[in-house]
Formats: sequence, structure tokens, C-alpha cells
Amino acid sequence: MSTSSSNPVRDKLTAVREWAGQAVAPIWRAFIDAVRPARQAQIRATRSVGARLPFSVSAPYLFLAPFFVLFSSFLAFPILYTLYLSFHTYQGIGNATLFWINVGPIQFELTRIAQLEYVGLQNYQRLLGDALFQNALANTTFILLVQVPLMIVLGLALALALNASWMRFKGLFRTTIALPVAANLVAYATVFLLLLQDNGLVNTVFQMLGLPTVPWLSGGTELIPGPLKSVLGTGFWPRISLVGAVTWRWTGYNMIILLAGLQSVPQQLYEAAEIDGASRWEKFRYVTLPQLRPVLLFVVVTSTIGTFRLFSEPLIISEGGASLSATRTLVVYIYNIAFQQFQLGYASAMTVVLVGIVAVLSIVQLRIGGESDA
Amino acid sequence: MRKQTRDEAIWRFLGYTFVLLVTLLMVVPIYWIIVASTLPEQAFLSAGTDIQLFPGSNFFANLEALQARESVDFIQSIWNSVFIAIVYTLLSLVLCSMGGFAFAKYEFRFKEPIFYAILATLTLPIQLLVIPLFLLISQMGLTNSYWAIILPWAANPLGIFLMRQNMKQIPDALLESARIDGATEFQLYYRIALPTMKSSLAALAIVLFLFQWNLFLFPLVVLNQGKYTIPVAINELVGAQRVYYDQIMVAAALSIIPLFLVFLFLQRHFVSGILAGSVKE
Repeated sequence: MSTSSSNPVRDKLTAVREWAGQAVAPIWRAFIDAVRPARQAQIRATRSVGARLPFSVSAPYLFLAPFFVLFSSFLAFPILYTLYLSFHTYQGIGNATLFWINVGPIQFELTRIAQLEYVGLQNYQRLLGDALFQNALANTTFILLVQVPLMIVLGLALALALNASWMRFKGLFRTTIALPVAANLVAYATVFLLLLQDNGLVNTVFQMLGLPTVPWLSGGTELIPGPLKSVLGTGFWPRISLVGAVTWRWTGYNMIILLAGLQSVPQQLYEAAEIDGASRWEKFRYVTLPQLRPVLLFVVVTSTIGTFRLFSEPLIISEGGASLSATRTLVVYIYNIAFQQFQLGYASAMTVVLVGIVAVLSIVQLRIGGESDA
Repeated sequence: MRKQTRDEAIWRFLGYTFVLLVTLLMVVPIYWIIVASTLPEQAFLSAGTDIQLFPGSNFFANLEALQARESVDFIQSIWNSVFIAIVYTLLSLVLCSMGGFAFAKYEFRFKEPIFYAILATLTLPIQLLVIPLFLLISQMGLTNSYWAIILPWAANPLGIFLMRQNMKQIPDALLESARIDGATEFQLYYRIALPTMKSSLAALAIVLFLFQWNLFLFPLVVLNQGKYTIPVAINELVGAQRVYYDQIMVAAALSIIPLFLVFLFLQRHFVSGILAGSVKE
């Protein structure tokens, strides 16, 4: 180690570089070790038989290389860097300009990223007492528990109906129901913002049908039955609006995936079940569901990840007057902290926690889905 | 026998009612976007009782107003979005199919660990990489370029997963016989794997196109005026002091078209292609 210079940041960087050099060397050696024996075997075979190479040993590596280069620089490296940032603090000057109004200052702030200070677990400790983070976590959990099951049941029911032999115009229905996916993310969120206003189209239709107008976005406790009032709280209607918007958009997408799964179920299984005198329900329970399990699992896992990714919908829908506390998701909160308050370290710590939650949930879902297979 | 046919009829009735109802719910907002884009703002903003249900004649006036905006060139942003999505999709298809081919058809050291490491990143909400990615992109001097959005997710973990699953179905014997006939490894990929994987590639193309089409947070961070993609451009219309809903509606209506076309062309493959990846291991 060289004698420490006057610049602590540079010292740290040097240390990191040295560490990186040590870490990379074994990987490189392992790669060479992996290739060498096969390569030698190949050369030997070529010499003895004098024939063409049986196959090129480097081929898989060459095929994988372009993917891997981009993957490690744009996915793997940022993940590790987030982890690194989460143990540091970086406080900007505190210029909380709205991000989309002016990109300039942020760029300036971020170029000063080198002024990082190691703070250990402080960011994570701060998380425990952060009421806004808990609020965001609660909102995300609500959406996860309400929206994901709703969407999957709806998607499955649609897939079943559209897979029935007697159903006509299947292609038309499929395309139409999947159409919302084609709507632009921001565009549809804005449209829902308009539709759900107090005097918007939805409430107009409600009035025509003699139903009460619902405060979709303003989030009062109106219309919630007495005993539930305290449980569901003031943010109930905005949250429901968010659930509705997301369900509208993604149900058709999931339906198509489930439909594909249904079509791969062997017909013989149904025929066999029919011979055994199985009822409609029994066929569904004992043939369709087990056969569909891998696809269902895929849909559940991707939808769960999708829930944790929610960003533009809550951001835009909550602009419509509702307090953000009703619809603030984790990504929205992280965005606020990172790009409006410039606390990159703290935001990174939240990111790490969020990734941990998603990973655990996915593993649990895969376990449950996989085990009951036996 | 009679009871069975009556049962059947009830199921059909319920099935059609359900599907029709959902279809209606799906169509209404889209229909409304299109109607609203052809009306002057005050005609659709507060619907009230005199609700407008049919298209008017104000579309081009709204479009003109939209194009007159100095901050956003919307037509340009459609082009940006389409261009970025197409280049991204093609690049990612090449990377993922090559990688998937390697994972499906070759044995090599550390194959499983590498694959599962890639798979693990699927559980990652990608917006969360915005901070380090932004730093990286600006270090590379790529801010405000198309590459800033194309490169980061070109190595798409979902893509390589789907490709690996599907390419496993290519019979080894086919590859062997091609090898004996003197095909190089790259020819195996290019001449055999790619053509047999057409519908999987189409399905993946939809997924990738959709993914890129919907990116919002990262483009918001790295792009400046002139390079805006559609979501960022529309958001720009919302974020201004007064929200011009008539212009937003035109923008929204126009933004549906490109993706709708993609979807229409590739829909057939989508059903057959997507599942091969998700179903069987």
C-alpha cells in the first residue's frame, strides 16, 4: 500500500482497484483452466484421426460473449454498484428541482458523486424508522395482495372461456382483450386520471345507473361501510383506482400466456377424465390446474415482480389530487429520495432491501409451486 | 341427456356474457381516447350529463396544437420510440438467441452457475438500476443518445431464458448431421437454430418491443429534448403548468398505432411461442 496521499477519495479508489485486480485474476484463471483440457483433447483427437474438429470448444463461449459483455456491464455491475452505494452517503446541495422540469441540475449533482462517505449500515438503520418507507411498503403489499390474485383469476377465467370449443370469434376477443397492453404506459395512466375524476366518465356512468359517485382519486372515506372505515383508511379509493388501472392493462397479457398454457394440455387427459365420469369441476381441478401449474407459476412470479416495479401509474394517478401517501409505491419513493432529494446512498439501501424482498418472494413462490408438483 | 344440453347452454351463455363484458371494459378507455382526441377539450373534460360518445372533427386542430408546442416535438418522439424499439429488439434478439443457443446446446464449465446468475436478475425491478446506470451512461458519454436506452437491457435475462428453453427442443441429431456435413458452429446457429425458432423469436420480439416501448423512468433520466420517447414526451405535456388534455389525447391516440401494428402482425406467434419458454423445463 502506498503512503496515503492527502486525498482520501483517491485512496479509496486505489484500494478498490487493487481489490478488483485480485478478484478478476482468479476468474480469468478459472476460465483458462476450464477451456484448456477440452482444447487439448480436441487437438489430440484431430492429430490422431486427422479428421475435422468434432466441435469447436470455444463456440459456446463465443456465442455467449456478446450477451455476457453487455450483461455484466449494464446489469451485473450496476447491481454491485448499488450495493456499494448503499453503504455510503452522498448528500447533494439539496436542490429539489422537479426532475422532469429541468434535467440540468441533476446531471451536475451526479458528476460530484465521487464525494462519497462510508457510513456502514447507517442507511439500513434509517430505513427501520422511516414512516414513508413503511407507507410505501404497505401500499405495495396492498396492491400485491389485491391486484395480483384478481388479475390472475380474471385472466385464467378468460383463458378458459376463450379456449372452449364452442366459443366463436376467439381471435377477435383475444386481440381486443390484450389490446390495453398496446396503450402507452404514460398515456393510459393519464387517461385513467381523467376517467376517474369526480366528474369524469366513470362517475357520469355511475350517475346514469343511479349509483353514488365515488371519490376515486381524492381518497375520502366516503362510501366505505362503517366498520371497515378505520381498516381501509382514507387512501382506499385511490388504491382501488390504481389496482383497476393495472388490472385493465395487464390482464389480457396474462390471459394470452395462460391461453398458451391451456393449449399445450394434452387432449387425451380430458378424454380419459371424461371416460372416468369426471365433472366439469373435477376436470378443471385434476387435469387443467396441475397441467397449468408451470405457466401459472410463471405468471404469478412475473406479476409479483411487476407489482414491485410500479412507477408511472401511481406517479401520474396520484397527481390527480389524491395524497401520494395512498398510492406511493416503493419505486416512487426511491425515485423521490434519489432524484429529488439526491440521497443516492439511502435510495440504494432501499433498492437493496426491495430486491431482497422480491427475491425472497419469488423463491417462496417457486418453492410452493414446485413442491406441490410431486 | 336433456339436462346436459341445458347445462351446456347455460355455460355458453355465462361464458359469452363474461367475455363480452370484459371486452367492453377493455375497449371503452381506448375508444374514449380516440373519441376524445377528435373533440375540443371542453367537450370531453367534464363529461357531466351531456356526454359526448362519438368522434368530432377537431382531431387535426388538436394535432396542430400539439405540434405547435415548443417543448415537445411529438411526431419526432414517435419516430424516436419506434426506432429505439426496433433496434433494441433486433439487437436483443441476436444476443439472446446466440446466448440461448450456447446454453441449450453446448456443455461448458460453469454453465449452470452462469445461467442461474442471469436468471436471478429476472427478479430485479429494473427501474432500480437507474442510479448506477445513469452514472455509467454518463461516464461513457452516452447521455441523450439512442444507445443510452438501447444498450442497458439488450442483454435481456428473460430473453435468454426463453431462448434457452425453446432451443432445447432442437434435436441434437439434426445438429450432429449438419456438423458431419461440414457446417461450422455459427452456421448451425444461423442456418438451423434460427429458422426453426421463428415463432419463438416472434414471441420474444413482442415481449422485447413491449418492454422497450414501456420504459419510462430511465429515458426520463437520460434523455433530453429532441430524443424523447413517447412516454417521456407525453409526461412532458402533463408536467407543464396547465395540462392540455386535448393534446394529450391526440398523443395517446397516435401512440397506440405502432404497437398495435406490431401486435397484430405477431399475435399469432405470440400464443404459440411464448409458452415454450414457460412451460417445460
